[in-house]
Order: sequence, then structure tokens, then C-alpha cells
Amino acid sequence: MIDIDFTHPPFSLLDDAERERVLGGLDIAYYGRDDVILDAGQSGEFVFVIHKGEVAELDPAEGPAGGRIGHYTGGDLFGAISVINGQSRYRFVAEEESLCYLMPHTLFLSLCENNAAFSDYFHQRLISKTRLLAERRAEGGVTLAGFMLARVNECMREPLKVGSTTCIRDAVLTLRDKGADSLLVETPDGPGMLTKTDLLEALVLEGRDGDTEVGGIAHLSLVTVDESQYLFEALIEMTRHEVARVVVFHGQQLTGVVELTDVLSFFSSRSYVVSLQVEQASTLASLSEASQRAPELVEALMAQGVRMRFAMGMLSALNGRIISKAWHFSMPAPQRERACLLVLGSEGRGEQILKTDQDNALILADDQQWDELSADTARFTSVLDDLGYPRCPGNIMVSNPQWVGTLAQWRARIRRWVCEPDGDSLMRLAVLADASGVAGDFALVDRLHDVLIEETRGNELLLTHLARGVLRFSTPLTLFGTLKKPEHGVDIKKGGIFPIVHGVRTMALECGLRETSTHDRLAALASLGRIERVVAEDLGEALSLFCELRLRAQLAYRRDDAPATDAPDRVVVQSLNSLERDLLREALHLVKEFKASLSHRYHLEYA
Amino acid sequence: MSVEAAPQGKLPWRQWFRLGEYPMLRAIRRVADRRRQADGDFAWLFNPYTGDELVALDCETTGLDTRHAELVSIAAVRIRDDRVLTSESLDLRLARPASLSGDSICIHRLRGVDLEGGLEVREALTTLLEFIGNRPLVGWCIDFDLAMLDRYLRAEFGFSLPNATIDVAQQYRKRLRRSHPEIEVQPTFEQLAERLGVPIMGRHTALGDAVTTALMHLRLESGALAAPSR
Repeated sequence: MIDIDFTHPPFSLLDDAERERVLGGLDIAYYGRDDVILDAGQSGEFVFVIHKGEVAELDPAEGPAGGRIGHYTGGDLFGAISVINGQSRYRFVAEEESLCYLMPHTLFLSLCENNAAFSDYFHQRLISKTRLLAERRAEGGVTLAGFMLARVNECMREPLKVGSTTCIRDAVLTLRDKGADSLLVETPDGPGMLTKTDLLEALVLEGRDGDTEVGGIAHLSLVTVDESQYLFEALIEMTRHEVARVVVFHGQQLTGVVELTDVLSFFSSRSYVVSLQVEQASTLASLSEASQRAPELVEALMAQGVRMRFAMGMLSALNGRIISKAWHFSMPAPQRERACLLVLGSEGRGEQILKTDQDNALILADDQQWDELSADTARFTSVLDDLGYPRCPGNIMVSNPQWVGTLAQWRARIRRWVCEPDGDSLMRLAVLADASGVAGDFALVDRLHDVLIEETRGNELLLTHLARGVLRFSTPLTLFGTLKKPEHGVDIKKGGIFPIVHGVRTMALECGLRETSTHDRLAALASLGRIERVVAEDLGEALSLFCELRLRAQLAYRRDDAPATDAPDRVVVQSLNSLERDLLREALHLVKEFKASLSHRYHLEYA
Repeated sequence: MSVEAAPQGKLPWRQWFRLGEYPMLRAIRRVADRRRQADGDFAWLFNPYTGDELVALDCETTGLDTRHAELVSIAAVRIRDDRVLTSESLDLRLARPASLSGDSICIHRLRGVDLEGGLEVREALTTLLEFIGNRPLVGWCIDFDLAMLDRYLRAEFGFSLPNATIDVAQQYRKRLRRSHPEIEVQPTFEQLAERLGVPIMGRHTALGDAVTTALMHLRLESGALAAPSR
């Protein structure tokens, strides 16, 4: 009679005998609308699992309006903490008619006693729960299967062919120029493989000189695979023959080479292939092609259960390389090396997931003469546009002279913003605080941060103004089911990501930190003792969770072929599973507490 | 009771067993049974109930005719306050009856093999009586289930169930008549469950129907009809 989903934690942590006990030990109760299921201060006699319906968690101490803490719906569990603590801290009220399973506290506690994993689930902090989520996703394997089914031709390189009369010196030059490890030598007896090791042995061990023809050194017995074979078969061939590369044929035609390193990175992340493409791009067109593949990379990383912050780090490194290369291709040589191109905002923090608007700025060296400056920067902006980075609607781009200047000009601007802290100025300060260099003279960006820190140090009033931004959007604890149209979802960007990022940024500015990523700032704040380490870790984890949920919404949106910039920042809570909902609830709660502590620290209650 | 209404054109099943089950007859028989059982093992069943629990009951049978059909399974679940105590429930399967046929298997889905190792009638009835005691019984068209059980009980122990009963179907009609006197409805089990927002748990298993019936009873008691959901 009991219909409980045993595939999600915490119930998935139980073994079969324990599941039987759960099935045999639950009662069912019906609650009408507005019925109090468990009141604050009441002793925790049951753990509740909602079969159907919605339940709100309220804090009566905070009065009727502000006291909403959480929201639970079908499949969710509540009341466990009340059982563990002996009494309930909050009041649980049925928001609509609800059917709940009731697990007596004796059964719950005995399950906890016998099953450590089950017990831990209720004592764990967010950080360990999100790990559970990542593990589960990696187990999911659906997308992973896609990798295992990759074919050889998805991972092979163009064959690098030389004639058999080429001398060793030329062969080495070719290898160096192409950044390759092996060559195919066309001999009268068919193609032969020549690796760097072969060359080294010929030169050093056999004492040949650089003019020797390579035809005599190459190995003619090749390990081959067909283009249409699975990639893992190529891997098996390599293992079997103890070689690091195989030659690919399509029928009788030699079409490519598969390197062991390529296969391994293909299976580990596929990132290497994209970054290789970026590095090898020699024109804007090929760069653009590589940059198109970035979302695919993110999706792959997520599917493999890679932690969000590493995926973000990987992607922002890649984006940085793309922008840096674009800078190289499109700017005149002496000028581009002396100035420093900055990326700002989420890109500067390294927290960008899919490509968004371009947010960038330029620091010129003090005595730099750049005659075509405005024409060049305008061109750069349109180049980025072509690469798939839409123009910034707020015009924070190098094509805007307001965001180009020498350090002295920047100092004057910052000083002006600090003196007149209106909304615009605060926004600009915040954006600039996240600046990272991507191309040119990186010493300039360090000095810009010096300037920023000098100009803002000890300015309590400014910090208060900045911190107030955190309170601008309410954190949507109430939005779970009570929205008129639940498909509108929760605005995760305003409600979750922004308060953490901005709050941490404000604290970082106060402490004069130079870190630009939120995770690094949190770590630095923790080691300064400004924030408890536990809190810092949890906030970082909450941020990762928000980013991940947002990314998933965006990827889903992308699949429908809409432009990524209009991608929704909303997460439809009903589409999450109960573990994810549990995590989201906890993460939003952390944000709420963080906001409260900021508003205490920066006296926002009175301002 | 957990079988669908009879096909149109035949005598509705409800009337089949009503013919032999007038309430007055029941009352008279109870008095006689009580006197006869006064010194038996089951005398306590005839005491008035003073607790606050109910028992929801449901039987699966091989047919609709209470004079010939045989019991396949019996389930009962206790109700206390506003909770259905699924953790205190009874789900009895009886040894395969002679008349187990393809028709009824299609409804309750208990095949011959499923009943292997089932209980002997006497053992099942004893367990049931121990479980329900003298608590009031709740059921969907409970007259059918009572008629079935009484036939077995009389044969084994010589008395009928003395418990007070609540028929959820009747309870619903009564409440509806109070608020909408003009409406005359005969909702099916499924329709009423939907009307009351009760999920149907394991339809046509005795325990599933007993639990669903218990939930429907709780919903009716809490005044679910006072504020129509539509």
C-alpha cells in the first residue's frame, strides 16, 4: 500500500530488509488545507513523507509574514530533524490537502541506528549531499554511454605524411611545426610509422646523422583500425600491441592516426579536443568553429559527474583562450602586447557557464600611443560578436571609451564612482572588482586591483551601499508551489547566485582581496577568519548547486535551438527530483542566513 | 466489496444480498448469537466497544452471489484519530477455493498459485476476529463483505459479526443528500475516490481497497463534501 520512491536518497540508502520494515511500518494520514501537521515545540513523533500535496515550513517566531522557511511537495520528507532533536523547531502546515506517510520515531531511529549511511544523510551538510547528487548523475550513465559508443573517426587526427627520402632533420622540423608526436612515412612497401622515440634512438643509440633518410627507420608493421570501429576498440588494440597510436583506414585508404593521449582525454572529458582545436586555430573562422563546441564540452563534463566548479573553471579557461586568440588575430602587434585586455563580471570571476554577453575593458600602458584605438576596439567587439559573444546591452565593452584608459584614467573614474555611489557607479565598481586579464600585459591588471583597493579601503559608507545590493532581490523560499503558475519557476540567478556572489565580492573588497572568483574569495575570507570555514564551504557549494541547476535549464533551452542569451534563469522546482529539491531548499536557506549576517555586518537594517 | 456493478439488464448486485439481510433480522440474530456465545471464546466480541479505533475491511471473492461465492482474501486496517494505521493491518489469503475461476481471477488477480500456502478458513477467521475485535467496521458496500463473512462464520463458529458498521458508499449518499437533496447518484468506488481526492492504492487487492476505503471514510468525516472541491 505504501508507494515510496526507493530510488532516491535517503530511502535508496536502505537495504532490502530495511525497505520491508519501512513498507510495513508506515501509517497514512490525510491533512486538510491549513491543518497544522507538526507545530513548533511539539515533540517529534513521526517522520513525514508526502505522498501527495504541499506542505509549508514556517517559523512562528518570525511572525506570519516573514517566517517561511521551506516548502515540501510529493516525495519530500520532513520532520526527521524534529525526531532527532526531540522536538520541532518550526511549524509544518498543509498548503493544500495532503496525504502523508507517517514513520513512527521508533522505526526511524532504529533505521538510523542500524544504517550509518541513512543516519548520516540527516546529519550531513550541503557539501556532502551535493556529492551524492554528482555520484548519482555519474551512475546515470545515459550520456556516458554516448561516449563509450564514440567511433574512431570522431577522435582521429589528420595523418602527417612525409616521403621516404625525407631526412631526419626535416622530419624533426615537421614534427615541431605541427606539434605532433609521429609521422607516416610513405615507402614503396606501403606506409610506415615513425615516432619521436624512433628518431631519438636512430640519432643517439644508432649514431646516425641528421641527413639520414627516414625510409630506413620507419616501422612498416602497422597496428590498424577501421574508421567505423568503436573508439574503445582502438584503445584495446593499443593495449594489446603496446603502442601509443594506431593508424586508421577507411577501406584501403589511410585516413588518419589515433593517439593514445587523444583517446584517454576523449574518454576523460573531451575537453582536450576542444582546447586543442582552440590552440591549433590559425584563423578566426577555425576559432569560431572551436568556440561553437564549448557547450557540448560542458554538457559532457556534467554528464560525467565532474564537480560544477571544475567544469566552470575549465570553461572559463577555454573562453579566456578564445578571447585572447581573437585579440591576437585582430589587433596590431606592438599595441596589443602593451595594453591589457580585461574580462569583467561572471567571465572575470570564472563563473560563466555558457557564453554570455561580452563584458570587457582595456587598460592602456601609461605612455601608450594607439592612433587607431577607437577603430581597432570597435573591430574587436564585432569580432567577438562573430565568435558568438553577443554585445553587452549595458555597453561595458572596449568599443566604449568609458571602459578604455590608462591606469591614471581608471583611478580617476574609480574615485568618481566612489564619491558618488549611485546605482550605476556601484554596478561599475562591482563589475570592475571581478576583472581578470586575458591578453596583453598582465602586470596592468594587478595594478588596477591595487588602485581599486587603495581607493575603497576603509570606506564603510561605500561598503554599506554596495552590500545593500544583496537585499535587492528576495530569496524565493516562498516560490515553490504557491506561484500562480508553477512553471514560472524560481529565479535562481536573482534569488540565489547574485546574493552570494555580490555579498562575497563586497566582503572581498573590504578585506582588499585580489582573488576574483567567488570560490577563491570564500577560501581567502575563511583563512582571514572573516567567515567561518564551514559557512564558506557551504556557500560555495550552494553557489555551485545554483549554477548547475541554472546551467541545466539553459542547456535544455539550448536544445530547443533558442539563442543562449535569452536562456531562462528560472528553475522549475516541480521538474527536480526530491533530492535536488532538498538541496535547493537547503541552499536557499543558506543564502537567507548569509543575507541576514551581511545585513547585520553592514548595518543594512538601518540604512 | 470490490467487484464492479453487474452488467446492465440484470438485477443490480446490491439487491441480491439485501433480500436476505434486513437490518432488523441482523439485530435479532445478534441478540440470539450473543446469548449462545456467552460462555464461548468469542463472548468478548459482543461487548460494546469503548475505544476510539475503527477497522476498514475488504474481501475479495470468487463471485458476486453471497450464497455461493467463496472467499479468496480478506484485509483489514485500523483507523485511529485521523490516521490510517497501515502498519497495523491484516492481509489474509485463503487456501484455494474450489470455485476459483477465470472470471474472478481477472478482477482480483489472485491466481491459483498465488493462493498456495494460503490459510485454512478457520485459522483465517480466527486471525480476523482477533484483529478486528469489537471495533466498528468500515467498508465500501460493506453489506456484501458482511454477508460473505457471516456465511463462513456461521458455518465455523455459529455466529455472525456483531460489530457496528459504517458503509462508506451509504455515508457518501447520506451526506450528499444533506447538501444537495436533488442529486441522486450512485458513484463507483473510483469516482468517489477521485471526488474526495483520495489516491486509489492497489485497486482490487483486498488491502488496497481497505486502505482506500479507510481514507475515503476519513475524508468524509473531515467534511470533505461541505466545501465542494469543484
